[in-house]
Amino acid sequence: MFRQRVLFLKENYILRILKRFILAGLFAIALLLILVHKIDLGLISGVSKSVMFVTVPVINTLTMPARGLSYGYKQALSVINVYQENKRLIKENDELYLLKDRMKALKAENDLLKKLLHHYDTPEVQSRTARVVAETGGAFANALIIYLGDNSDEIKIGYPVVCSKGLIGRIDLISGKYARVTLLTDINSKIPVVSQKSRERGIISGVNAPEMKLLYTPLLAELQVGDILVTSGVGGGLPPDIPAARIKQIDMDSITVVPLFNPSETEIVKILLYDVAPTPETMKELQ
Amino acid sequence: MKSSIKNFLSNSAAFLVPVISTLCLVILLYLPRGDSYWNFLRQAPFYAGIYFWQSQRPDAFNFISAFILGVFADVLGGVMLGINILSFLVLYLVSVFLSERFNIKRFSYSWLLFSSALLITMLFKGAIISIFFRQLLPLNLLGIEFLLTLAVYPLLARIYILIERRFIHLEERYEKVQS
Repeated sequence: MFRQRVLFLKENYILRILKRFILAGLFAIALLLILVHKIDLGLISGVSKSVMFVTVPVINTLTMPARGLSYGYKQALSVINVYQENKRLIKENDELYLLKDRMKALKAENDLLKKLLHHYDTPEVQSRTARVVAETGGAFANALIIYLGDNSDEIKIGYPVVCSKGLIGRIDLISGKYARVTLLTDINSKIPVVSQKSRERGIISGVNAPEMKLLYTPLLAELQVGDILVTSGVGGGLPPDIPAARIKQIDMDSITVVPLFNPSETEIVKILLYDVAPTPETMKELQ
Repeated sequence: MKSSIKNFLSNSAAFLVPVISTLCLVILLYLPRGDSYWNFLRQAPFYAGIYFWQSQRPDAFNFISAFILGVFADVLGGVMLGINILSFLVLYLVSVFLSERFNIKRFSYSWLLFSSALLITMLFKGAIISIFFRQLLPLNLLGIEFLLTLAVYPLLARIYILIERRFIHLEERYEKVQS
């Protein structure tokens, strides 16, 4: 009986006009937010940080029991499979011993050649570990939310994030002890890469799908299906030679590549402390 | 004086229930990991919530609530700030339009109308992202997200009905109508 009456609420005329103005204002604010997205305004990142500060700790706390259960399940499974796993590891170990000797010889040769050519290695990049708290994917965006813990002071926006298989994305927002990572597959992501084999260059572009596009490759590029693409280091945003994707399909007008990681299976990630911007001293020297 | 403060507090609480309940459901849907299909469901409580609360309880849900939910969806979803705000305001307006013209109280009609409201919203959102990045979004993934959201709507609506019955009382609404 009362339900029907709600639909016939009598509103003040002025209030109705005011409501329309507010609604139009909210539309304008939303459009303005989209337009100024590229300009890093403190207000916008402040709003984003506040929202993350409120919601993500709740998600993290709620996932704790699930993580405990998952850990228990994995431990139980490893106990059941311990004999088979041991057998496999012994075999793998024998193969690795052979490889180790070969690697030692190659490394010595490499060091000698570098010395002869006066080649200097780029300094090793430091890293910090973080845990994946939540994942957002689908048709509109691809991102991960990670827990930085006490490392949060050292992490900056733009730092590359890798997993055991290779590059997964870059830090795009930090709020307290949490950060958001834009994945390679996100429409916003553009990564300069080079083919590991032929050293042909290109740019990996995400399309919010499990597959990505390889753009700006030369017309007669020597690329093959299965080739691994690694970061080129061009632009200084990412360190070179991090595996990023594998070529899946080559057509006349497009090259389709797939990422080396599966976001749903990624639990622990490594953040490389690789500074994008050169220091003022370096800039002076360059000038 | 005392009763007016009480009324103000109870009205404010009634406005908070839809926003908080939607956010709680979103947070719950963010918990499962390990299956990529869950990703398509993570924003479903936002769409279902805005449509449900606007069509069933317009006295407890307005465009400001949709705006607030849009801010949360933008930050959690990892899209540009403003995209979800704009699309949720569109969903709100479409819901207002539909609830004014159709008998949305019957669940089967409500579900059918939700599908059209959702389709308009998703196409609008996809169009904005495609225009902004000058790249067409994959329509098959958009279709999967649309179908999965539509499939879970009855369940989410049922949860919202339970929340409505538990936290927003009919007497309060009656008082508001009379005044």
